Amino acid sequence: MPKTDVINGNKAAAVAVSLVEPDVIAAYPITPQSSIVEYLTQFVINNDIDSYMSEVESEHSAMSVLTGASLSGGRTFTATASQGLSLMYEPYFRASTLRLPVVMAVTNREMISPQTVWGGPQDSLSVRDAGWLQIYVEDNQEILDTIIQAYRIAEDKKVLLPINVCFDGFYLTHMTEKVEIPDKQDIDRFLPEYNPEHIILDSEKPMAVDPLTSGYLLMEYREKHLKAQQEALKLIEEVDSLYEGITGRSYGGLVENYKCDDADYVIVTMGSMTGACREAVDHKRNEGLKVGLLKIRALRPFPKQKVMEIISGKKAFGVVDRNVSFGWDTGIIYQEVKSALYDSKCYMPSVPFIGGLGGEDITIEHFEDAIVKIHEAYQNENNPQTVWLKN
Amino acid sequence: MMESKEKEYITSVGEGIYSINTGDWRINEPVLDQEKCKKCGLCFLYCPVFCIEKKDDYYEINYDYCKGCGICARECKSGAIKMVEKGSSSYAKN
Amino acid sequence: MRETIETLSNNKELISPGISACVGCNVELTLRTVMRVLGPNTIIAIPPGCMGGVGVVGWNKKSGANVPVFFPLLDNTASMLAGIKAYYKKIGRDINVVAFAGDGASVDCGFQSLSGAAERNDNIIYICYDNEGYMNTGYQRSASTTRGAWTSTTPVSKEKVGGKKQHKKDFPMIMAMHDIPYMATASPAYIPDLVNKVKKAMEVKEGLAYIHVLNPCLTGWGIKPNESIEVSRLSVQTRFFPLYEVVNGDFKLTVDIKKPKPVEQYINKIKKFSHLSKDDIEEIQNYVDKKWNKLKMSCVEGGRNDEQ
Repeated sequence: MPKTDVINGNKAAAVAVSLVEPDVIAAYPITPQSSIVEYLTQFVINNDIDSYMSEVESEHSAMSVLTGASLSGGRTFTATASQGLSLMYEPYFRASTLRLPVVMAVTNREMISPQTVWGGPQDSLSVRDAGWLQIYVEDNQEILDTIIQAYRIAEDKKVLLPINVCFDGFYLTHMTEKVEIPDKQDIDRFLPEYNPEHIILDSEKPMAVDPLTSGYLLMEYREKHLKAQQEALKLIEEVDSLYEGITGRSYGGLVENYKCDDADYVIVTMGSMTGACREAVDHKRNEGLKVGLLKIRALRPFPKQKVMEIISGKKAFGVVDRNVSFGWDTGIIYQEVKSALYDSKCYMPSVPFIGGLGGEDITIEHFEDAIVKIHEAYQNENNPQTVWLKN
Repeated sequence: MMESKEKEYITSVGEGIYSINTGDWRINEPVLDQEKCKKCGLCFLYCPVFCIEKKDDYYEINYDYCKGCGICARECKSGAIKMVEKGSSSYAKN
Repeated sequence: MRETIETLSNNKELISPGISACVGCNVELTLRTVMRVLGPNTIIAIPPGCMGGVGVVGWNKKSGANVPVFFPLLDNTASMLAGIKAYYKKIGRDINVVAFAGDGASVDCGFQSLSGAAERNDNIIYICYDNEGYMNTGYQRSASTTRGAWTSTTPVSKEKVGGKKQHKKDFPMIMAMHDIPYMATASPAYIPDLVNKVKKAMEVKEGLAYIHVLNPCLTGWGIKPNESIEVSRLSVQTRFFPLYEVVNGDFKLTVDIKKPKPVEQYINKIKKFSHLSKDDIEEIQNYVDKKWNKLKMSCVEGGRNDEQ
């Protein structure tokens, strides 16, 4: 029987991992991720889970240990944030190009400078083109459910790619919420065994991993990698439905559509800010403004088709980014959404918003103001400069 | 093209042995005089390519991959190995 | 020696017969020797460097070895191996998990992951082939380059001024100070000694075994190919590179050099030292003497006297 507990986001992540019981876990502590490592080492010493825990000397080694374990056929897990993720970049990129289904939680934290430990997905967004799948989640229940789903998605033969489950530091990592914990037997049934054939280091099946390679072959591998990302679009949706079958919980797969169907305006969010925005949408609807919310869950692969279907034909849209895209004068998700809409052949005004950097709050009022700005952009038929949501 | 018949992979792996013909490299090659040879095995131990093969009670040079470095001749304490111009010896096959 | 020849001739060659190592390369000799001892139940990591460059990991869709072989990154060899070992340990399979890495990948940027693995007692065999610099990329200096040596990044002026200013990082000692169960130095001129040390490393089932091999680089240092072994031997006979091992903290010379040859004899064989003055050589000699005496004091017993 599923149990209910009141736990913080990091514990939800650790509990998800304990239900999956990876063969090898390697992690290095970093705020705000540290308690994930603490929970997992405790589970291992208590014999609650049968996993090999490596307390590595750096994030670079965390990903390297997992690369080795995954190359041998093992199921793996790690978690990191911010500077740890950037230190890990070298083996991080390679885990995807070697097509290793490593699962990694990212407790999103700002990149320094300035020196800070507070939340914001600048870290994982900065590595969005390193070949990994990336899903951004909103609350603690979604953390737990998505980490379990992540293994099924990553290890599927059509995909075989590593995956990040990203959630905002402190807002989720340290806040407690009610979380339903599925039955381990259900998870065992949900997750087939991982038996890699595409790449393996096994003395009974000698294989070279990463021989010196010509450009034509590199192109071939990259093309297949891009295709696998596109396959993941279907799989993320399928796995979400399958998971709903055993737990009753669904997150919409690639995106969540909140009241967009009959809306004139759409506001786009990602991560923990979404809850406050939902409230703002309801308020504005009560005032007579037909607005809907589109929550981006999958950033890689980017759900271009879904975004087009939901936003095209509306009067205007806006995107609230808790991050920046240097050189564009906007946030990153704004550029991604706009890019997806190019093929819809229908132009509409749009507003880029940036807020909540360095863990600052994005309030319901911010979102209400933002919705008004989107409405005004339609009325004035213009594309305003980036609007900064400041406190 | 040959490539089309090869096994396809989704990532960078290799199966089966890749090897180049290093026997082509040598300018000089060793010749082993079995009568002078004391069967000490030093040439066998020091050949970087493992070209010297140990038979039951003697050693023999396999020229297939010999690069002609001359270590065997230099290390031989009994002067049983001489370096000669490639192809000038009846022992050398390649 | 007879036993060594038996071992090496009875065991199968596991490396591709044709790899493009330089003519006379004693790293090729070391690798082939080591692999014959390790045998087929082995997974081997070859980080970027000479042995990766010459095709040991293979080319396109082919392999350079008859065992599982892979390129780790330049700086994560030990931690990747730790992950492989962790998995095999967990599923109950005993496999030799081995690094064959250059000094750049071990002494410089690979040091963090190697030190971490040593401290965690990760059960891997780590063999460093030390050719004292980045010999594969055009002879740049590393922390393992010795004082005085010319490299392409420690050049020498027309007035014969230059070369590396600093002494080499004493890496075998640094590894020994991690209190790992087995640490040894080895030389391609002392094959039976090397083979014994690999066998001992294979017996370690808890913790890291480290072997540091000094491999004079013919192309990068300026040594005649047929003198490959001779120069390696001189590095030992001059006490420039002592052969010793540390078993569970106990130091022992495996080859004692009771009557050392002057270091000058070693130096004179190598072009990278050709600009050195008498004073420079004397300074190196003093350094070598000092290091030897220190090592000698750490040793619980002396080894057999050099018989070569």
